[in-house]
Amino acid sequence: MSAGMERRGFLKILTSILGLSALGTLAYPLFRYIFFVKTASTGATVTVPVAGLPEGSAKDLVVGDTPAIIIHKPTGYIVFSRVCTHLGCLVNYHKDRQLLICPCHNGIYDLDGNVVSGPPPRPLPQFPFKVVGDKIEIG
Amino acid sequence: MSALRKWLDIRTGLAEPVRTSAAGHRVPRDLVLAFYTLRMVAFVAIVVQIITGIVLLFYYVPQHQYAFKSVQVIMDQVPYGWLFRLIHVVGSNLLVTVVLLHMTTAFFLGSYKKPHEFTWVAGAFLLLTVMALCLSGYLLPWSQLSYWAITVLTDVPTAFPVVGKFITQALRGVSGPVSDATLRRFFALHVGLLPLLLILLLVLHDGVPAHLRYRRRRGGEPVISTEAVAVALYFIAMFSIIAFFPGLFLPHDAHVPADPLKTPLHIRPEWYFRAPYEILKLIPSKFLGIAVQLVLVAVFICWPYLDRSRERNILKRPLMLAVFLATITAWIVLTIRGTY
Repeated sequence: MSAGMERRGFLKILTSILGLSALGTLAYPLFRYIFFVKTASTGATVTVPVAGLPEGSAKDLVVGDTPAIIIHKPTGYIVFSRVCTHLGCLVNYHKDRQLLICPCHNGIYDLDGNVVSGPPPRPLPQFPFKVVGDKIEIG
Repeated sequence: MSALRKWLDIRTGLAEPVRTSAAGHRVPRDLVLAFYTLRMVAFVAIVVQIITGIVLLFYYVPQHQYAFKSVQVIMDQVPYGWLFRLIHVVGSNLLVTVVLLHMTTAFFLGSYKKPHEFTWVAGAFLLLTVMALCLSGYLLPWSQLSYWAITVLTDVPTAFPVVGKFITQALRGVSGPVSDATLRRFFALHVGLLPLLLILLLVLHDGVPAHLRYRRRRGGEPVISTEAVAVALYFIAMFSIIAFFPGLFLPHDAHVPADPLKTPLHIRPEWYFRAPYEILKLIPSKFLGIAVQLVLVAVFICWPYLDRSRERNILKRPLMLAVFLATITAWIVLTIRGTY
């Protein structure tokens, strides 16, 4: 009887180990499957003609998958991501106030991308660019 | 009819469980019956959401090129499509209202106290699941309103170091902004995983601890007729909103297709998320704003284990009454602030 019980106990443990192993073997692929993240396109270079961007003006564009903005300041051009660093809404350029303002939580950035007021934790990320002839190449 | 019932009962044995869970539901005479009707209304509201949700699936297309248009087709072309969609939209808001009221009355009456702690915890998770269902469903019409609400929501985890970015990307299904991958992911959650979770939590909340409930006690008031009145009121409220205020839960941006390059001005979430949304505005630190809310949610879930007092009557506990009233007031004030 005692030997029978031992065998039953052993089989229980064995079944548990096999069952858990089978579950574990499935859990990993399931985790990888569910949490697979497609990499967003970093995108090719975006070109903007200089002529279409007089001083003081700005133009919305998309670099890779990221909405961006190029601004022609008195000191030159600057290109930012428009994605607010607070919660991901898109900032808008307010020419009259010379500021970038997020409509969601009123995060305000200056034209260097620095946070002036509101809850954004970081400045707006900048994109590299170069002026080539009469065009601006971004990214 | 009686013969059919008997025939069915011999083969299923359902007569007794149905009698004890519905007709046999009794509450103590000294309590206000209306408080105990909300569980039945919540149950009916969930059934209404499931039925209308399935009906909407006949025509909805979960792809970003077609999602908005398919919803327009449901509203404008499919016979009575507008009716089923409005029932689903209004019903989701009523469901949140009913579950919130149910939790509030449970708190007020001290119904979470021993031995009902587990019922409260399951109920709290049920409320969170209902809200997750509302949020996941929010993206499906692929409107400006839905796109930007989900953009803000899925950006919330980035406040947390190390795992935050991973969670955001896992929710969106892509390392960039909200996209078609997010729509499909939310669709799977909305029609697959979350309804299953909801049913499981309903069973845990209402089924497993049933033996602890008043219904098993002798005596008391039968509550079924009051429940019927409450369910009727639920349908009156729903069809009044559909008839007289059909745009109440569908503002202008809900009728504009999603534009990933333009955040609408004056964006705001649904009424039940406006208080948390306002807290994010008021607390200057993103991490702190979100961490505070997570702590509040954890306190809400674990409340039966934090409040160890044996006294159920909140009117005999001035401090608890003050906390209760302050919480309700703060929530209402923040919601109004977020609305105007």
